Amino acid sequence: MDNANPTILNVSQLPSRAQKRAPRAGPDSKYDAIVLSHPAWADDLSDSDEFGGDESEDYVSENSLDEQEIYDLISTVMDPEHPHTLGELNVVRLPDIHVTPPRPGSPRGLATVLVELTPTINHCSLATIIGLAVRVRLERVLPPNYRVDVRIKDGSHAQDGEVSKQLSDKERVAAALENNTLAGMIDNMLKTCTV
Amino acid sequence: MTTPSDPEKQPPSSALTPLPPFRPDLYQRAWLSIPHPTLPLLATAHATSVTIFSLANLTQHSTLTGGHARSVRSVAWQPTTTTIDNNNNNNNTLRLVTGSFDATAGVWSYRDKTHSPSALEQDVTGGDSDDSDEWEFNLVLEGHDNEIKSCAFNPAGNLLATCSRDKSIWIWEDVGGDGDDGGDWETVVVLQEHDADVKAIAWCPDVRGRNEVKGVFSVEVLASASYDDTVRIWREEDGEGEWACVAVLEGGGGTGGRFPRLVTASADGGVRIWEREEAEEEEDVGAAGSNPWGAIPGTVRREMREEWTCKAVLPRVHTRDVYSVAWSGKSGIVATTGSDGVMALYREEGNGWKLVDKVEEAHGPYEVNHVTWCKRWDAGTEMKGEEEMLVTTGDDGVVRPWQVRIA
Repeated sequence: MDNANPTILNVSQLPSRAQKRAPRAGPDSKYDAIVLSHPAWADDLSDSDEFGGDESEDYVSENSLDEQEIYDLISTVMDPEHPHTLGELNVVRLPDIHVTPPRPGSPRGLATVLVELTPTINHCSLATIIGLAVRVRLERVLPPNYRVDVRIKDGSHAQDGEVSKQLSDKERVAAALENNTLAGMIDNMLKTCTV
Repeated sequence: MTTPSDPEKQPPSSALTPLPPFRPDLYQRAWLSIPHPTLPLLATAHATSVTIFSLANLTQHSTLTGGHARSVRSVAWQPTTTTIDNNNNNNNTLRLVTGSFDATAGVWSYRDKTHSPSALEQDVTGGDSDDSDEWEFNLVLEGHDNEIKSCAFNPAGNLLATCSRDKSIWIWEDVGGDGDDGGDWETVVVLQEHDADVKAIAWCPDVRGRNEVKGVFSVEVLASASYDDTVRIWREEDGEGEWACVAVLEGGGGTGGRFPRLVTASADGGVRIWEREEAEEEEDVGAAGSNPWGAIPGTVRREMREEWTCKAVLPRVHTRDVYSVAWSGKSGIVATTGSDGVMALYREEGNGWKLVDKVEEAHGPYEVNHVTWCKRWDAGTEMKGEEEMLVTTGDDGVVRPWQVRIA
């Protein structure tokens, strides 16, 4: 274990909007609108004449997520070695999440989510797997027009640049997820994510 | 700058028109689509499979499954397709190589049962052949330690290059052998000068000028692009069978080329054109220090070095990683695609490169992993086998042809 004694934040101290929300209508329905919706872009994808034409502003406005919502999605990911979430360990921090909403002018619009992680200690050997789990988590639940960038915060890790480069390499990420050991670890870390 | 009326951003007449996508959709990430060098076939890699599409009717022709434990990242058609065996039969054998994340390359062949020289073409242009059973998984090329990221044949079809996350490039030679199996393959060389994953390789196409340095090199030129942010140029010393890195280009990415020029695409969003300088008297480059060769072990003999310099940077269009670049040997047009879902076309005008057209969200909200030039064979063209189109391959599992009309 890299850091036997990490600082743990009390759950009640964590930034969250979850409590302020109306009670859920049913199990895990919070993001049904995103996950289950028939996205507007699908309507005209097959219709080549309309390619790039029809503006579907409803889709953008309905699905624009803010930093707090991204935080709620990833703060519940479990640390691979401590029995705590990344939120409790302060690896995921609300001020280090940056969402760029879709550009108004573009047909449907790309949004980007940048998450900068702060490992509990600066030589944490598990920084890569933590970053991978956060990236996988967001790519599974966010609509396809969201681009996810996960980095290790500058100066927070001995190899922050190297780990960040790995996490942004599409081929490496894809290959890592085909590695059963890694995929199993990530599944375990995501078990606590209820959505 | 981004107003729709800006002539730079919105060319008056659109050069790119989407054609109906190939059917069926693959419904999963597809990495790339490679057209056969002569026949109307297109091979698309997705998951552990390859789907072959007919370019005549834009539908599925056949599939290759069961050969790999992990994703097929790359495919390469072997250029030679017809061999005459000892009994003087025509063996119309298609051969495809798959490069996989499972660290192996597979050699596959598709046998035409009729043994008639023209039947293969009729068959594929007819497009309604049976499914996968004609493809045979012949043999496995083993050697890489981990994921193979790219594979490519030289124009003559006797040399296959594969590259991997293991930092190496392997060159394999098809030394003939029985056409019934995948042939016999020998390892020619293992090149291990990159400091990190080798992500892309490209052989120089068969063009004039490829072998300007007479008596020093044989005809083949290979370019490799790496995670170490360099591109290396490799050549074989004439007749020696010795391969050497003759140039290191700093700041590269994916590659495509028309020797003596090379185009590279990078995760920094940049697309660069490199050109080999005419040979000149070399200064003393023996001293280490500022020159980039200083750090490189002496595998590059001085007289074998080539000077490649970045001659142009294409207009910046992409806002995220550029995944693919394709340079047409026919029209000279360069096409790029990337993570931002944008497809862009560029043309050389005067001393610089201009943006000709760009399409946003070419695959809806998805990333576009690959773009290639490809001959048209479908009913919509009046010049079958001559007119060029573009084919893009996306994370949405859609393979989409594009008509290109440039005034």
